Amino acid sequence: MRSAGRISSLRAMAVAAALLVPAPAAAAAEPEPAPAPAATEVTIAPVDLAGPAISTVKVTVKNAGPDRMRSLKVSFAGPVGWAVQPSVHSVDGTFAAGATAAAEFRIQVPEPRPGFTVRTFTATATYKGGDGAGTATATRSQRSGTPLADLADAYNNVGVTDESNTAPGNYDGGGNSFSAQKLADVGLTPGATVRALGAELTWPEAAAGTKGNVSSAGQAVTLSGRGSKLVLLGSGVGSGATGTATVYYKDGSTGTGSFGFPNWSFDPANAHGATLVASSDGRNRQSGYGNAGIAYRIFAHSIPLDATKEVDFVVLPGNGNIHVFDMAVAP
Amino acid sequence: MPEIPAVSRRLLLGGALATGALAAGVGSAQAASVTEAATAVDPAPRRRPGQKSMIDVAFEPCRTVRVGVIGLGNRGHGMSEGWSVVPGCTVTAVCDIRAERAKRTADRLVATGRPRPAEYGGSDESYARMLERDDIDLVYIATPWEFHYEQGRAALLAGKHVIVELPIATGLEELWDLVDTSERTRRHLILSENCSYGRNELAMLKMAHEGLFGDVTNGHGGYLHDLRALLFSDTYYTDAWRRLWHTRSTASFYAMHGLAPVAAAMDINRGDRMTVLRATATEPKGLADYRERFVPRSHPSWQETYINGDLVTCLIDTAKGRVIRAEHDVSSPRPYSRINSLAGSRGIFEDYAGTSTTGGRIYVEPDHSGHSWRDFDTYRKEFDHWLWKKIGDDAANNGGHGGMDYVLQWRTVQLMRAGLVPDIDVYDSAAWCAPVPLSVKSLAAGGRPVEVPDFTRGSWVNLRTGLDSRTSEMPPVA
Repeated sequence: MRSAGRISSLRAMAVAAALLVPAPAAAAAEPEPAPAPAATEVTIAPVDLAGPAISTVKVTVKNAGPDRMRSLKVSFAGPVGWAVQPSVHSVDGTFAAGATAAAEFRIQVPEPRPGFTVRTFTATATYKGGDGAGTATATRSQRSGTPLADLADAYNNVGVTDESNTAPGNYDGGGNSFSAQKLADVGLTPGATVRALGAELTWPEAAAGTKGNVSSAGQAVTLSGRGSKLVLLGSGVGSGATGTATVYYKDGSTGTGSFGFPNWSFDPANAHGATLVASSDGRNRQSGYGNAGIAYRIFAHSIPLDATKEVDFVVLPGNGNIHVFDMAVAP
Repeated sequence: MPEIPAVSRRLLLGGALATGALAAGVGSAQAASVTEAATAVDPAPRRRPGQKSMIDVAFEPCRTVRVGVIGLGNRGHGMSEGWSVVPGCTVTAVCDIRAERAKRTADRLVATGRPRPAEYGGSDESYARMLERDDIDLVYIATPWEFHYEQGRAALLAGKHVIVELPIATGLEELWDLVDTSERTRRHLILSENCSYGRNELAMLKMAHEGLFGDVTNGHGGYLHDLRALLFSDTYYTDAWRRLWHTRSTASFYAMHGLAPVAAAMDINRGDRMTVLRATATEPKGLADYRERFVPRSHPSWQETYINGDLVTCLIDTAKGRVIRAEHDVSSPRPYSRINSLAGSRGIFEDYAGTSTTGGRIYVEPDHSGHSWRDFDTYRKEFDHWLWKKIGDDAANNGGHGGMDYVLQWRTVQLMRAGLVPDIDVYDSAAWCAPVPLSVKSLAAGGRPVEVPDFTRGSWVNLRTGLDSRTSEMPPVA
């Protein structure tokens, strides 16, 4: 019986040796355009995600370079916090061009979570020889579940309250929130249209004192359309309200884009490249309306889209400091 | 034929804890030798020929789990009824050195509609006679701590599986002997660590495995329970056995209820292991102060001198660079807590915070920001362990300690009846109890680090499941 995590390289080496063909002499006749150099191929086999369990994962490394590969080490990691055994495999011996080596890892898989999840696994090979690059990496993402139907389904934060009842608000984690009255003064009423960065967005329909924005935590939200960019409406709390959103297209491909929002109050209005949309005067505190004279703001930012593809859904960044009120595709 | 050892009246001043007493009170020459030994490695004893690990060894399936109970004080009496209500479990024999207690428990079981168990009692050898029975599959031991090792070992040698109240033993050699005896007899010995089946604790474990805390870096647990009134009670702890431990040694006697869930969340013995322990102890003030204020001068406790520190803290390093803080304090005025906290690169959970219906609070990125705690409730609901979803109502109706006792008993019976691998094995049990003697060693050496034995003999590196188990059914009762 094979021990878990053993490198299975010998058979692959033998096959490669049998197919080995001497390279042509360097003095070839007419020079032709050099083909793109073949790169080392790292492949992660599908991971059984039916936890809680210990799953075995096979990682294969193919030497696609011209030289023998040696000093190969393969590392593997899953989502943060998932234990892996071992974290690195060292492979004895050398591998001819075209040969493959396989390493097995064991990973602790938790019970599947409800809703939409993306589990990402990474394998990295470091080596000498081969294609000469010294390192090659593969990433495997496995999805499960269905994205939320729309952004309203992801609302998880009370960011706007009426000045007559400020208690439900907690936009910033400190019990503070936008004043519904002061937002109305600048046109942000439930259902109002907001035009920014070429997109037509909608201020949330949610009533004051109810959940009406998304503190971004990797939620997957259905969104349709085709355009040049995805525009997000929101603002930040704390510091560093930045992150990367992933756009899934209906053809199965993905794209990513990074963006950020300034703090709702104290950052420069163009911090992280954002665009100011509206400023409301003061804010609601747990004790009532206050901080008059200080602006509390809403911004827009965008990430690029592939205009040739139809958007399927968007996975928001994993940064709770980012608050999103709406998002839309701009032509 | 199972081997039955002779019963001996050993222990009370034996083992590692006597070392602590010496170091704490007398004999500079002896204390010096203890200091020399404090940081020495305790090598794993060699396995005998044919002796094999009990890791991943399943119980042999059985239709009914027949339980014999040793020790029928407050804990044993109550748990006897608990065993009897688990589907497919019956209490076939009960034993206590005081025969009237065996009768009391037997009467109680009959009064609740259960078969009358055989009664054993009258001497300190009664349990050995009970172990000669061939209709016992599992022995549950709830005697005073000083008897756990001897009785647990005897039960293994008698061919029974054993579940022992905390601690399974108080000395390192005893812990190793229980590991070896389990391996030789091919019988499981399990620490009866009910808090490892606590609802918050299991949710915390599942959240750790999900990665919600990121890479787990530290955890805190303990047993902080103001037992002063019970310790000075003339009826609660028979012959004041628990109070007397505070006259013998300076040790973290009973931190397992908080240590074990944190260790489980760190996969101790399942990919990580505890490597080094260092202990501190405060002055022993609490019991003497309580006695001064509330206990009559005629009480026998006035002949006693308490030497155990009120708060004994163990800091434990793990092979993966994590740190566990385990606390023990039963002699100070304070609300109850097992601390039960886990933290990592992406967040933290703290129990006993009193901010929600679960008592827990949490802060994990990216779900949270703004430096303020959030209620644990929604996370407890999402990460609720299948055992609580399945039998939580039964646990609330049948079990003590918030239902944890029933979940422990139900799960133990299920594992045995279905022929599954135990959630808690002898290696976990030994590791979680090792801070008892190791704290003595460290304190005797002025708090110097002492090595924690690897009871798995190297198998700790292998990932394996444990308390975070897959849903499974209790076999139907015929």
